Amino acid sequence: MEKDQEKQGSEVESSFTMTRRTFLHKTIAAGVAVGAASVGWFPTINTMDIAVGAEAFKFAWISDTHLYPKQVNTRFVEKATRAVKEVQAMDPPADFFIFGGDLSQLGTEEELTLGKDILAEIKAKKYFIPGEHDWYYDMGDVWQKFFGGTPWFFDHKGVRFIGLNTVAWAPDYWTERKLTPKERMAVMATLDSIIGGPWAAVEKEQRQWLSDKALSGIPKETPIVLFTHNPLYEYYPPWNFWTRDWREVQEILKPFKNVTNIHGHTHQVLYNEIGNMRSIGMLATSWPWPYAPTGVPPLTKPMIRVDPGDPFDGVGWSRLTVNDMQKIENEYVMWRKQVFAEAPYDRGDGDNVNQRLTPRLVEL
Amino acid sequence: MTRGKKFLVMVSLIVGFLMLFPAMTLKEVWTPPDAEAHKEPHTPQQLKSFQDQFMAMVIEGDKLFHGGGSVQLSKTGMACAMCHPYASDTHPYEFPKYQEQMGKFATLRDMINWCIEKPNEGEKLDPESDAMKALEAYIYWSNKGSVLDPGRH
Repeated sequence: MEKDQEKQGSEVESSFTMTRRTFLHKTIAAGVAVGAASVGWFPTINTMDIAVGAEAFKFAWISDTHLYPKQVNTRFVEKATRAVKEVQAMDPPADFFIFGGDLSQLGTEEELTLGKDILAEIKAKKYFIPGEHDWYYDMGDVWQKFFGGTPWFFDHKGVRFIGLNTVAWAPDYWTERKLTPKERMAVMATLDSIIGGPWAAVEKEQRQWLSDKALSGIPKETPIVLFTHNPLYEYYPPWNFWTRDWREVQEILKPFKNVTNIHGHTHQVLYNEIGNMRSIGMLATSWPWPYAPTGVPPLTKPMIRVDPGDPFDGVGWSRLTVNDMQKIENEYVMWRKQVFAEAPYDRGDGDNVNQRLTPRLVEL
Repeated sequence: MTRGKKFLVMVSLIVGFLMLFPAMTLKEVWTPPDAEAHKEPHTPQQLKSFQDQFMAMVIEGDKLFHGGGSVQLSKTGMACAMCHPYASDTHPYEFPKYQEQMGKFATLRDMINWCIEKPNEGEKLDPESDAMKALEAYIYWSNKGSVLDPGRH
């Protein structure tokens, strides 16, 4: 279990570095009136939400459990249950818990109920965003009945947490083909589907809500955390390892100084920085995915090659800390000794250098 | 003609006769099967037929790989494509090699069967079966253009 690592050479905010923020804290602590205007560093001092030695706290993320009914597949149930137990065992307990989507594999009420029951063991306040596997059987009916709607936001200890739905926006591929709900879901349940199309998006309505509601009236220094199922940048569109309107979303987030995107869907260790937004990819509990043929963010320190013989390898959950500088620190709880690869032959992304791939031929 | 030349002519005639001897005495001359295919240039129809037969196997392999096809390869709802979208990370171009998970030297078919049994929780295929050949065809087809690097761990 190792901390997510910063890129080499980045300015790591630590208590040993005299950053502008630390200076500000110290001057306030000394009771000195912050003559920021006279110093000329923070002309907007009046509107700034000063985090005076902000309180650090932890929260937990689980996603991509992909549950089948218990009698079909016990392994996925075991892994989801193990993650839940470990979250509940956090000491001190997590401030809150976020479920990042793909609770069920085929979106049936039976699977979603199973997931709800497994997650019930977590006593902290729970927040939910859907995955595509949860949505396309009944277009989110049961999901919303159980876990509420999206988007949402809440504030916790000075940080604004936002939950978005990046999965409900597939171009209609089912009506013309006269697909049953089961068939429609089967398409979305196939990552390398040639029918599903580029379904991942934030979409106009949610983008509008983001700028008009979630991000309005707060200082630009407010730390923002966006929970999404898909990454808010472009990694590998054929597997919907992206959101198709990520550029527009980036524009909306541009004025904010401290933005972190936490996402699922990719089932692997990922880290990226785009402009002022950091994006951290979370593990699945169900199974790991190989790094895509192209597009792996250069800042990602890849996870170690997975042993396909061990169902508990390459999967897990995350323990996240918002530190006293209000920056997110991620700790992958992967159920193996070493998370990150050091030697080239151990790297998950170094394993396929000779590979060329072709999209599949047939589907329905 | 000199005596030497006469002698050479005699030898050539005898050797020539001996060479013809088997053809004259054998009831039937052996010809390889499908002799026409090797002796005549390929027709476009033939080439298309070969390609069609290959692609039929690739299509069947695609279905099997994604949880469909003629044989059910998992009892727990698993499919190869769940961990290997586009048949990625299957490394057909690196076999045969020592396969760590199996603890022995293995071919691609060995690995396919290992995967069917262990992560996929299904029943192994007969390595000579059409289903196995179809999976092999799809995996290779999907990885076409990859650089051959057998033995790489």
